[in-house]
Amino acid sequence: MIKALREEVRRLFEEKKVDLVIGWGKGSLPMTATPVFIHKAEDVEQLIWDETCSNNLAVYLTKDKRQLVQTNQKIGIVVKGCDGRSLVLYAVENQIKRENLVIIGVPCNGVIDKKKVLKQTEGKEVLSARFEKERMVVEGRGFKTEITKSDMLSRSCIHCNHPNAPVYDIFIGEPINTDSDVAVYPDVEAFEKLDCETRWKDMVESYSQCIRCYACRNVCPSCYCTECFVDQNDPQWIGKSPEITDTLIFHLNRNLHVAGRCVECGACERACPADIDLLRLNRKISKEILERFNFTAGLDIDEKPALASFCENEKQDFIMG
Amino acid sequence: MIKIEKSEFGTFIRDLSAEYKLFAPVGEGRQSAFREVSSADQMNTSIQMTQNSPKTVFLPQTEVLFEFNGDDIQSGEKAAKPMFFWGVRSCDARGMNLLDKVMGQSKQRPDDPAFQDPYWKARFDNAVILTLACHEPASTCFCHWTGGNPFSKEAGDLWAVETETAYLIEPLSEKGKDFVKTLSGYHTASDKDKQEIKTLKKQAESCLRPAVDAKILKEKLPKIWDDPLWDEVSAKCVNCSACAFICPTCYCFDIQDEGKKDKGKRFRTWDCCMFPIFTKEASGHNPRSLARERVRQRVMHKFNYFWETYGESLCTGCGRCIRVCPVNLDIRDVAKQLLEAASAV
Amino acid sequence: MQETKNKKDWQPKILAILCNWCSYAGADLAGVSRIQYPPNIRVLRVPCSGRVDPMFILKSLQNGFDGVLVSGCHPGDCHYLSGNYNARRKFAVLKPLLEYIGIEPERVQFSWVSAGEGERFAEVVTKVTNEIRKVGPAKRLVKGVDS
Repeated sequence: MIKALREEVRRLFEEKKVDLVIGWGKGSLPMTATPVFIHKAEDVEQLIWDETCSNNLAVYLTKDKRQLVQTNQKIGIVVKGCDGRSLVLYAVENQIKRENLVIIGVPCNGVIDKKKVLKQTEGKEVLSARFEKERMVVEGRGFKTEITKSDMLSRSCIHCNHPNAPVYDIFIGEPINTDSDVAVYPDVEAFEKLDCETRWKDMVESYSQCIRCYACRNVCPSCYCTECFVDQNDPQWIGKSPEITDTLIFHLNRNLHVAGRCVECGACERACPADIDLLRLNRKISKEILERFNFTAGLDIDEKPALASFCENEKQDFIMG
Repeated sequence: MIKIEKSEFGTFIRDLSAEYKLFAPVGEGRQSAFREVSSADQMNTSIQMTQNSPKTVFLPQTEVLFEFNGDDIQSGEKAAKPMFFWGVRSCDARGMNLLDKVMGQSKQRPDDPAFQDPYWKARFDNAVILTLACHEPASTCFCHWTGGNPFSKEAGDLWAVETETAYLIEPLSEKGKDFVKTLSGYHTASDKDKQEIKTLKKQAESCLRPAVDAKILKEKLPKIWDDPLWDEVSAKCVNCSACAFICPTCYCFDIQDEGKKDKGKRFRTWDCCMFPIFTKEASGHNPRSLARERVRQRVMHKFNYFWETYGESLCTGCGRCIRVCPVNLDIRDVAKQLLEAASAV
Repeated sequence: MQETKNKKDWQPKILAILCNWCSYAGADLAGVSRIQYPPNIRVLRVPCSGRVDPMFILKSLQNGFDGVLVSGCHPGDCHYLSGNYNARRKFAVLKPLLEYIGIEPERVQFSWVSAGEGERFAEVVTKVTNEIRKVGPAKRLVKGVDS
């Protein structure tokens, strides 16, 4: 499959169909891929595709990287299902011109979360990792162990039912058949069942670890405002220190801003240097939006985002009168 | 050289925590840090390096400078019980010394207290740091690029190495010598112990990967200031601040006031040069509006500017930034690329 | 800053964000008709309930309000045609989210009150005030307090 990917990209350059291709390359650490920017056919050998390719590359089409879109006529981008949904979101929100993108879809069976691997090795550093079908063999100084794929799958991939990019120009290999199109949220439902006190305590304990580095915001493709509410100082919406109230409000408001736009790619959670379960609020919101408005972000280029549209007759059980 | 048997270690730590505010590595994985402990079983003695460096204690993320209530102003400076840090690796110990050059001593006006940070000095001047030799440097460690070594005795007040059965401790500074004087009833290290140290040092050094001489990089960096290579190097950076917050030697901070009417506080909190608005001016102009300019600034600061002003590299090679970067922007690869480009000029 | 919330004489402080054309007029009518209702609300007039950003509600809770009531025109009657529909969607996401993280559901409430519903406005305020009085002073999310 990697060969097919490289061939396709080489062909795109030879036929002058792209000026730049954004994909994944081998990183400098085991189990890590890194974003690569290919400008010519000779460099296509850098491209890889496997379960370490976790970054959502759509993020390089907006924000501070806007000049890439402005200076390159045609950009090719390799995407998994969730990343492809981000591209649909961008098309819906007029952040990119669809005709200037060559979307290269790859079939995704989930990506790994390195933190989960470290839990399996009890914190011991992994010096080499090798994939063998549904397992990964990891070795370090004085140990060698096997980890099953399901034990190291990123939280965002466990319940994923959109493994293929919804819109693409080229697809490498065969799109994956999912058993069901219905989204499930057992993790959200379990948390909802707890009582109010417990939920609050859990939130405080979890989010107290936040150091407000904003890595979650910066890797999120849906967060592309040129001026984030966090950086406004007239009025200043939240304080700069990691006081729990400011931290919680930052996360609540960021998730509200991506409500109905989050594609649950999990980039936020994987980027967090403090291991916080960041997807939990996003998934709660996605569940509500799906149940109330029958809407899922990033699937249909012609559908308006959930919070930018309305239906006259809607469930309003939470409103008095 | 004092020898504390592992069987005596629990008592040693207990006594230590009675005399000092004792800090040691606590926790696992990404939430590991230097925290206050009162007994040996609260410590994580097998961790190679904590995710959060001792900087979180000496220069905490948020620090109240003063509080005010009407005309009454309470300074945040507190005279602390002296702190003892057990288990600091040499990269972090060097890091604290580097921070001291900026916060504690003042190069510009050595005798002027106005240039010394009182909050920093209240903590650092009273702290005893025990540098623990590093047996198994991680694959991301590169202290030897910047003149360091896993068994370095360059920084800290005391130096210790863990052998199979004991901890061997020797003083490095005056503070260290005074501390060692207070220890009694322990054996001294034998020649066999000292031989074991040599073996352990060799083993540790064998874990290190081929080095790049950071001094050469420092000389050559100014030549490639305008090189288009910086665009390539900075292309994947997403401008979060994970690297700076986790770095033991980054010291930039923002100062904020919070309060209502006549009651409030002024505090400082970590800031990061990778944020796009770090250099945004009141007029709206931003001299470092592009990612390439910010990445260049960070690399130059660590490997050139600081060296020019203070005589050594600001990067100690701990490798935390490499582990934490969400897009795997590896400073070692960057350094190699830059050196190659600079050598071609 | 945080005032001591003595249980005996604590009175809930509730922010009422009212849309200018319907709810604010309804509140006005309640006042002119001398209809009695609890004096615990502080009114913030906005042109439309669609103007209300969830951040207003979060910041109110942070700054010490014990509760927030947002009230707008009935669906179909919005002065700006569809503002309250957009507001309804925002609130449909905000309210379950706040409850999910452990903020008592009684603290943040929404209503539709029209310009002619003076009595109804008084009823809504009374209901909300009583419910918030039952859950007690807001401690979660308040700045300057460890809870």
